[in-house]
Amino acid sequence: MLFLQLLVSGIETGALYALTAAGFALIFGATRIFHFAHGATYALAGYAFVLASRFGLAWPLGCLSALLVAIGFGLLLEELVYRPIQRHHGAFFTVFVAAFGVVIMVQSLIEVFFGRAFVAISTPLTRAREIIPGLYIAEVFWLAIAIAIIVFAALGAFLARTRAGIGLRALSENPDLLRAFGLSARRLSALAFALGSALAVPGAVLGAATTGLSPSIGAHVMLISLAASVVGGIGSLRGAALAGLLLGVVETLVVAFLDTQWSEAAGFVVLFVFILFRPSGLFGAAVAR
Amino acid sequence: MSTIPRRTLLAAALPVAGGLVVPRRLRAEEAAEAYTLGTLFPMAGPNAEYGTIFTAGAAMAVKHVTADKMLARPLVLRPEDSEGTPQGGAVGMSKLVNVDHALYVLIGFTGVSKAAAPIGTRAKVVMVNGGGVGPDLAGLSPYYWNVIPLVPDEIKTLVPFLIARKLRRVALIYVNDPFGNGLYKALKTDLTAAGGELVAADAIAPSDQQFSAIAARIRTLSPDAVYFASYGAQQAQIIKQLRDAGITQPLLTYSGATIPSVRNLPEAEGLIITMQAADWSTNDPVTQRFVTDWRAQYGSDPTTYHQNYYNAVRLFALLAQQLEKAGKPVNGDTLRAALLTTRRFALVGGEGVFDDLGDISMKIVVNTLKSGQFILAA
Repeated sequence: MLFLQLLVSGIETGALYALTAAGFALIFGATRIFHFAHGATYALAGYAFVLASRFGLAWPLGCLSALLVAIGFGLLLEELVYRPIQRHHGAFFTVFVAAFGVVIMVQSLIEVFFGRAFVAISTPLTRAREIIPGLYIAEVFWLAIAIAIIVFAALGAFLARTRAGIGLRALSENPDLLRAFGLSARRLSALAFALGSALAVPGAVLGAATTGLSPSIGAHVMLISLAASVVGGIGSLRGAALAGLLLGVVETLVVAFLDTQWSEAAGFVVLFVFILFRPSGLFGAAVAR
Repeated sequence: MSTIPRRTLLAAALPVAGGLVVPRRLRAEEAAEAYTLGTLFPMAGPNAEYGTIFTAGAAMAVKHVTADKMLARPLVLRPEDSEGTPQGGAVGMSKLVNVDHALYVLIGFTGVSKAAAPIGTRAKVVMVNGGGVGPDLAGLSPYYWNVIPLVPDEIKTLVPFLIARKLRRVALIYVNDPFGNGLYKALKTDLTAAGGELVAADAIAPSDQQFSAIAARIRTLSPDAVYFASYGAQQAQIIKQLRDAGITQPLLTYSGATIPSVRNLPEAEGLIITMQAADWSTNDPVTQRFVTDWRAQYGSDPTTYHQNYYNAVRLFALLAQQLEKAGKPVNGDTLRAALLTTRRFALVGGEGVFDDLGDISMKIVVNTLKSGQFILAA
């Protein structure tokens, strides 16, 4: 029963990882921008939700606030930080340093406005109940699964069937060719940031209720997103989603066999295994040797 | 590739160089006339909440010492961010010693202290801990003093309480660092000796954020109580996730959980915690002034961390005042000699008595958390 319980916990954790990692993968896949500040988007969205709750707003309004903050932040970053750097042919490293600076700035701002303490939303949805003897499940588990399925189905349909979605997929391949089809690379890039940032919201909102938030939460989120993107295959949305799920499950299941302190390390062992034996990841393009 | 002319480069560099040199000179002049007290607290990252709390206690003491004109020279606080890590502690301590020329450093956290202590010892800089409680902090260096009772004292008070309440089978979650490992040994030894049993001991990394798997494992063991030993945001995460996962047994912890993020957490209701006895209604003038001014400034009661760092600064002022009156220089050696000669000081919470190692003795109590307040449980 312990194994089943750990599997359930792992799937819940993995679903949240998958959603967050997919946002990073979408942005990187479409724009090739190493959006290291994706963790900051997560933190801002989570804190916006907490703030809305403190003001007594109903949770749909809280989610909307988080969504607006996340999208607004993503678009602002794209417009004010990444685009000027790219305009001057800034190197990958320049983008990374700029994004890293933004992460620190956001963390400091959160500390100023919310304090440095841990914050969380207390809700009955996170209280586990015994479903069958020895197996405890909270309603948030079903919620996380449902949200992940709905979001990925909607995103998959958008990317496969709409003109903008197909344009996003094409953006990373050949931005010049896009213009020939009357599509704007600039607008598509903004769309990628808006969508990618929006994908951080479900994880941030559910994270505020389950694990809670602290101003430095973004760094941990970014680490997971990055690992999931590498394991899933750089730029692959479904790869990142599946890898996020895999990392969550591995992190949790390992506790059944090893000491708990190896939990997080186990996820990164998976990462190293992929780097060594399948550097292209689960769904990434084959790597030329 | 375009190149920048050397003249332009030099012109651009001058203000930068000037900016670096002038503050250093000003700092050196200032340091010559003021007593520089360094603070080596976590000011960023998951443990930053402690830095804010520690600093507030020290700042109020500086205010009082200055207002009372206790010393011939002004007192200045120079903050350095330890990040709550040994590496940050070593870097910060080097800067406080070599750049700021601090002669007395307020420090917290066991790992930070162990990394910084050799640097402070070499420079004969006194380090005073009011936040770290790891067992290794006793006698860490002749220049390292504790104004906080260490965790073995807390465990010694807790274990009889547990046995009396038939909470004999305890599961432990502890952070895998010098503090956590020290606590694990102390709890295992004392609990076993008292007839109890440590049924599980799960080590966690300081960066861990997911505890549902540990909760699942602990649940299968059905312990009488769960003890967690961590700090900062992680404590609140552990409590919340244990309760969410259906762990209904009493949760036990140490004084590190007296921070607001734990106190205000609904899931922390009923938490059993060992901590220094803090009687804010006591009549001694030092305590009354501290509490009255604290309430006036912050609108709430101080915590024992505020008390400890207030006491750390006050201790310096009392020692330096004594040395000034005797016409002696104020440095690490004279401060230490004065401490060991005097031993007893009027501090917040009553008379503070220091032993040969420079450690204070204080009464420990077992409290329980009820509606955000720590109420005496034993």
